[in-house]
Amino acid sequence: MNKKLLHKTSRAYLLYSVLILMISAPIFYYATQRLYINEADDTLLLHKNEFLQYSISSLKQKDIPTWNSFNRNVKIDSGHKVVRDSVFFSNYYDTLDAETEPYRELNFPISIQGKPYTYSDRINLVESEDLLKSIAFLFLAVIVILLLGLFLITKKLSQDLWKPFYKTLELMESFEIDKTRQPAFYKTDIEEFNRLNDSIEKLIDKNTTIYKSQQEFIENAAHELQTPLAVFQAKIDTLMQRTDVTMEQSEILGALNENVFRLNRLNKNLLLLSKIEHDSYSDQQIISLTSSVQKNLEFFTEQAKPKNLMITTDFKEDLLIKSNPVLAEILIGNLFLNAIKHNIEGGQVVIAIKENKMMFSNSGPSRPLNPDKLFTRFSKTNASEQGTGLGLSIIKKIADINHWNLSYYYQNNLHCFDISF
Amino acid sequence: MLIEDEAELAMSIQSYLMDKDFVCEWANNTKDAIAKISIYDYDCILLDLMLQDGNGFDVLKELKYQQKSEGVIIISAKETLETRLEGFNLGADDYLTKPFHLSELLVRVQALIRRKNFKGSNVVAFHEIYVDLLSKTVKVNNSVIDCTKKEIDLLLYLIGNENRVLSKSAIAEHLSGDMADMLDNHDFVYAHIKNLKKKLSDGGSRDYIKSVYGLGYKWKNE
Repeated sequence: MNKKLLHKTSRAYLLYSVLILMISAPIFYYATQRLYINEADDTLLLHKNEFLQYSISSLKQKDIPTWNSFNRNVKIDSGHKVVRDSVFFSNYYDTLDAETEPYRELNFPISIQGKPYTYSDRINLVESEDLLKSIAFLFLAVIVILLLGLFLITKKLSQDLWKPFYKTLELMESFEIDKTRQPAFYKTDIEEFNRLNDSIEKLIDKNTTIYKSQQEFIENAAHELQTPLAVFQAKIDTLMQRTDVTMEQSEILGALNENVFRLNRLNKNLLLLSKIEHDSYSDQQIISLTSSVQKNLEFFTEQAKPKNLMITTDFKEDLLIKSNPVLAEILIGNLFLNAIKHNIEGGQVVIAIKENKMMFSNSGPSRPLNPDKLFTRFSKTNASEQGTGLGLSIIKKIADINHWNLSYYYQNNLHCFDISF
Repeated sequence: MLIEDEAELAMSIQSYLMDKDFVCEWANNTKDAIAKISIYDYDCILLDLMLQDGNGFDVLKELKYQQKSEGVIIISAKETLETRLEGFNLGADDYLTKPFHLSELLVRVQALIRRKNFKGSNVVAFHEIYVDLLSKTVKVNNSVIDCTKKEIDLLLYLIGNENRVLSKSAIAEHLSGDMADMLDNHDFVYAHIKNLKKKLSDGGSRDYIKSVYGLGYKWKNE
């Protein structure tokens, strides 16, 4: 699937940030926990030192129950439970919260008035859980803000950075070699884009020149051929008038005549194609399609007679189009003759005009044609055909320069050529 | 007069027209052509546009300047709407694009001369056949026969090219006009010939239309 450039970069950024945050979150958690425990231990030791410095000297044995009853966290128990300082984790039931909570506890032996006691100090670690929760929440918030920021920044950056690129892309997409207009690229302050634009410009220039000279060649060739063809035709006409031609010779003459006619037609159609490309038919008029078809109906009915075709028209409404009248006539003529030429004996031709569409359908070989090759020059379905192989490309060309949509499909055993205006 | 710089083509046109009893002079450049125009009056001028020493339009301008009323048929390889319109604006009467059939050129010349010499009526008569070009009617032995426009056109083309072999493609081109370049099948000519033949013989005319083996048809004056 095609993705936008922006998506690709953003995705990489996103993945990287998520990965880093995922790894760093537990590390951060453990580091914080350690720090917190160290801090708790330090506090316990501080308490111990304070106790040894300030309290122990004035503490009497009879005060111990009182001490214990006023201090919840610092207790003094009789007897030596430990021989030296020991710090450990322990759990106590908290009557206030009605649950067991973790504590960090420091025990060390003391003697009060010569009697052994154990000093026990503890710090509730419950707060550290809250701390961790806060950290997790903070992390999540950081992730969201970071990603959002990254996304917005890359978006904005790439929009600005790639703007010239998209402009170039747009220009190239709208470029058509057969139109005279050259795309005008914007100058940017980014070297790579300037290079891109320069090379595209060069490429277009070169191609346009080649295209033009090729077009000129076709046109000139067709033009230059006209005079010798005229001589050829005239000579054959003269030769045909001879009274001493034998049957065999007249057959050859007939074949020559047919072929000079074909050559002639081919030449004229090539000229027509290049003239359409050159915009020689640029003046436009409003034309009624139904009357254009109707006007030529008699002529084509005549053409259809040898094949016994049935021509039916189905005009739902009149369609007014804006086009060059000569081209419109050529278009209709070619569509008509195409429908007749590729028809079968006793077949049918249906011409329908409705809803902004003109449709020529005809019976013919009972298989759909290859729509990719259909409209290219000289592509014939049947090599022995008499046609020039230009009819459909002329139709296509006329549709193209008028921005009409020409489509072919095979439906209900009919070959349909459909033009939407 | 024929103004054409392609010698081979000029010779063919000349001989085809001369066989039809036309006197056809030939100039191959505008200078000679203008010189001849100044001296003689022609019934019809066949004018090529692209000449070695200039544009055929110069000849048209000269004709206009000299206030001459010769009928002019432009014969040119150039085929754009602009040249056509410019030609007609400068006073040309007809325009024929190269390559063309000599038979086509002949009927155009005949039609032009007929129009020019038009004196109240415009008719073509051939023995018992009588075609009125204004009312578009055909009479055989003075009784009207019902012909379509195409059939009258075909009849005139055949009569105009009397005793000439006309190929099927030449007839097809003549009958289909602008559509000719799209056609690749000339079978419809046969139907028209058949219909015309039948109508003429039904009207009591002799059968002048002969088919020529392998080539086409001929209007034969027996």
